[in-house]
Amino acid sequence: MSRPLKPEELRIGVFVCHCGLNIAGTIDVHAIAEYAKTLPDVVFVKENRYTCADPGQEEICAAIRDQKLNRVVIAACSPRMHEPTFRRTVAEAGLNSFLFEMANIREFASWCHQSDPAAATDRAKDTVRMAIAKVRLMQPLETLEVPVTNKALIIGGGIAGINAALDLAEQGYKVYILEKSQSIGGHMAALDKTFPTLDCSICIEGPKMVDCARHPNITIFANSDLLKCEGYVGNFRVTIRKNPRYVIPEKCTGCGECKDACPIEYPNEWDMNLGTRKAISVPFDQAVPLVYSINKDYCIECFKCTEACGKRDAIDFDQTPEEIVVEVGAIVVSTGFDVYEPYDMPLLGYGKYPNVVTSMEFERLILAAGPTGGKVIRQSDGQKPNRIAFIQCVGSRDQSHYPYCSNFCCMYTLKHVVQLKEKYKDNIEIYVFYIDIRTPGKDYEEFYNRARQEGVNFIRGRVSRIDEDPVTHNLTVHSEDSLIGHPIEIEADMVVLATAAIPKKGSEEIARILNLSRDSNGFFMEAHPKLKPIDAPTDGIFYAGTCAGLKDIPYSVSQGSGAASRAATVISKPKWKIEPIISVVDQEKCKKCGICIDKCPYGAIRQEPNQPANIITASCHGCGTCVAECPSHAITQMHYTDAQIFAQVRAALQENPEEKILTFLCNWCSYAGADLAGISRCDYPASVRAIRVMCSGRVGREFIIEALRLGAGAVLIGACHLPYDCHYINGNYRMKERTDALKTTLTKLGMSPERFRVEYVSAAEGIHFAEIIKEIDNQLKTLGKMKIQTETAKLKPFLENMLKQNS
Amino acid sequence: MPFKKSKQDTADALVLEWVLQLKKYKLTLDRNRCIGCQICSLACPKAAITTQKTPKVNNEPAKKVKIDIDLSKCNFCGVCDVTCPHGAVTVTLNGKHDLKILTKESYPQIIRNITIDTQKCAKECTQCETACPLDLIKVTKVGFDGKPVKDVSKLSPTGKRRVQVTVDVAKQYCPTCRACEYKCEPGAIVVKKAIEGKIAINQQLCPEGCRDCIDVCPINGTLTIDKNNKVTVNELTCTYCGACQNVCPIPDALTLYRTKILHTLVHSGTWNKALERIVGQQNAAKELTARAADVRRNIVDKRFIIEEMKKNE
Repeated sequence: MSRPLKPEELRIGVFVCHCGLNIAGTIDVHAIAEYAKTLPDVVFVKENRYTCADPGQEEICAAIRDQKLNRVVIAACSPRMHEPTFRRTVAEAGLNSFLFEMANIREFASWCHQSDPAAATDRAKDTVRMAIAKVRLMQPLETLEVPVTNKALIIGGGIAGINAALDLAEQGYKVYILEKSQSIGGHMAALDKTFPTLDCSICIEGPKMVDCARHPNITIFANSDLLKCEGYVGNFRVTIRKNPRYVIPEKCTGCGECKDACPIEYPNEWDMNLGTRKAISVPFDQAVPLVYSINKDYCIECFKCTEACGKRDAIDFDQTPEEIVVEVGAIVVSTGFDVYEPYDMPLLGYGKYPNVVTSMEFERLILAAGPTGGKVIRQSDGQKPNRIAFIQCVGSRDQSHYPYCSNFCCMYTLKHVVQLKEKYKDNIEIYVFYIDIRTPGKDYEEFYNRARQEGVNFIRGRVSRIDEDPVTHNLTVHSEDSLIGHPIEIEADMVVLATAAIPKKGSEEIARILNLSRDSNGFFMEAHPKLKPIDAPTDGIFYAGTCAGLKDIPYSVSQGSGAASRAATVISKPKWKIEPIISVVDQEKCKKCGICIDKCPYGAIRQEPNQPANIITASCHGCGTCVAECPSHAITQMHYTDAQIFAQVRAALQENPEEKILTFLCNWCSYAGADLAGISRCDYPASVRAIRVMCSGRVGREFIIEALRLGAGAVLIGACHLPYDCHYINGNYRMKERTDALKTTLTKLGMSPERFRVEYVSAAEGIHFAEIIKEIDNQLKTLGKMKIQTETAKLKPFLENMLKQNS
Repeated sequence: MPFKKSKQDTADALVLEWVLQLKKYKLTLDRNRCIGCQICSLACPKAAITTQKTPKVNNEPAKKVKIDIDLSKCNFCGVCDVTCPHGAVTVTLNGKHDLKILTKESYPQIIRNITIDTQKCAKECTQCETACPLDLIKVTKVGFDGKPVKDVSKLSPTGKRRVQVTVDVAKQYCPTCRACEYKCEPGAIVVKKAIEGKIAINQQLCPEGCRDCIDVCPINGTLTIDKNNKVTVNELTCTYCGACQNVCPIPDALTLYRTKILHTLVHSGTWNKALERIVGQQNAAKELTARAADVRRNIVDKRFIIEEMKKNE
């Protein structure tokens, strides 16, 4: 559907580019120019040697002014190459930049059909005709602008979040840090030393934590939860719940007198439950903000703390959760990770044998400020262990648990063994059972060598089980030394398990609230794994640290700064510009079914009960999936309207449709792949007629039905690879669901299955694209023109019926 | 190994444990000492203790209610340990019975005021030992030579005079029923009840032949059958524990009011709430008013002292 055109007189100008000999060398450009003149509403045709060069652009400007052109078609290279250039050119000449279309006759004709210039010229003519058919229906669009709140929210105050906050605050922006636990600092604050320099962890992180608390631009909401996030890039409204501490932060001086008065202790989670804390306490001495909290699960309400607090009057047992709303322009998600506790690996005996600990627990044991005061002791008898076995990859690189490598376990185990050797010299025997030692970082391999020189025994092999002597509580580790190929048994006094790092508990909730997607391992997914590793698929949301994949401290810190910089690109602007290629709901046509809300990959569609759906302009990325899904045709994607695409389909199939392969290509992967086929001069049959859409999710059933009704030889949809390549998160899945059902129907009605295909082509698979086209072309030749025509005749009534029902 | 919680329930004891790297918290409920009085569950600040009636089997004596402690709610504070009139609960940290709620004055100690003047003791007498319904009293007699005397009556009059009597009471288990005091003819033992109150039996409602309350009463002779073949109470030895009320099959047939608990003075919210649950709102309010009056009196006294000191100067 499309809005009715204003009754204006169309004046279309066509510019045919020679591109030196790149186009003119294969294609008869004059024939194209002459052909263009015969098409309706074309009032001006011009050939240029190089349209993109300055003289070429000036000619376009001059023609728009002199000939009063109101539509422009440029037959030249791929729009992925020069569309932005010509948009500017057209705008300079005073024409709306969305009233121009490119016909790709270089990558899609001259370069890929060099062996058959005649066919190439035919394809180029059709391409120009399709472009003109589309441009006739185009409408002027204005780039949208939304105001920006120049504040940022950091979710998670670990080392990555702290760095992001400090960087943004230093640039002058107001920053809120939302932290779930009672203190910022994250895992790093619980560590003893950091590899490979063996710096004291809290000594280097502590000052940064304090900086955050002191910075006038930073507000910390600790002990708080994220409840809701509304809005879009530049304009998020975030609801935060401050959970009660039962202590008034403004009045608490952090003196700790209440703690001394408190009679109740409970296991301290910060100490991995190895030590205890008081029912009124801070999780650790360097906590920021230094505000005590009462844990009502354990408090017996004797009010001794209130007595001790006295005139400071900081304790308030009647505190209730408080909800606050902050408005921010950008969000940095830095929620971090959790440590896997291998209770479900009974062969390792964790939870059963007292002397089997995880690395994180070992970290608290060796830490001077830890519950044992830095003494490594066994739980069973309180003695120092003389033989310690470290077991790597517990849960990680394990198909039945977590298939990925947890990134930093090798390094922290090396840190632990070096620390032990430094502390106990030759009074300790250390065995490390590993699969591979991975040390890809600055000075990491050198650190590994240091551990080897200290006399640590590295044994390559996966541990099959651990047995315990019930009397001495000593442990026997059963493994295989894969380097000599023999089973091996080592008796140890203590076993340390380097367990996997896993996605933070609650990241599913965060993903739901912020509308983020998660990969198969549960970590947040980037907008692009290579080129946008910090950006979330939702504009204005960025990642820092381990929440989007495991990384060590230096990498988390740099990503924190990276996220700050990315967030600043949004909040430094007074306005945020949005491409107008977005979807719009026709409020009258909308049947309020809510299907689009489920299908939108960005959650950009909202609906009040019994009201028509509404698309939040700034959240819409313009994939067009909702348009294809809407059963009542109430949604239009600007610049890719149904009418425009229908026009292209009809123009493409005007002559000898049964020989044509009508192809819908998504802009980001398959169109680029087809471009690459041209750039690499892969010769393939010229029977292809390509229509560019932003996402394969835009390709509705009716386009395919219409193409087959018109007798197209074959219909091909090119999409990004499943599962994660789609530029719009999951538009390709939506297309797959839709086309799978349609293909079954069509095949049942009597269509040869090879006439409708869906192929996944990445931007790097030019050859693959050419192969597919060759294959389909061969299949069409085998089927024969007659067979296709007969099928079309047979299918036509059904297809017409389907179209009627659809519209 | 991580923090481990465990709970073991046997016929003799209920044991709850938290095992941390350096600390081991342990709560033991001695089921043989427990009389099913429910006072611990009333005192518990975390409402972790629940009681369960044992169903009655025909022709068998009634059984005391069973105490259960929820491991997920218990925080090993020791309030139950301190409050239990029979000393059936013990809370330890690393094996030491050293309760922080007492040292930090978060909870009062229940006063078991038992004074024994052995000077008054008749040398042959072991009445108190036999009188104690819980076998908590041990009377020992030592002759002039420092050796224990088996039979005082065989000694010469001089020897008899020289005999030293000591009476040991396992105080921590004593519910202060005063049975020994009543039996002590020379009046050597004086016991003050730790819990005071009132017990009322509505004999009209009492079912014919029901002996349930008598079956569970820890102090023999407190509840008896009178000539009407109905239960009657001898409040002299009643400890107001409430074990009888917990098993009584008819609502309102047996009503128990506790009015006062003898305890050391502390300022503690935990105690105020526990007291309210054990003795009821009104009686708890009485105690608080009395305490407030004490405080006021102290303030006034102090002022007088200061004024007097100024005069003297």
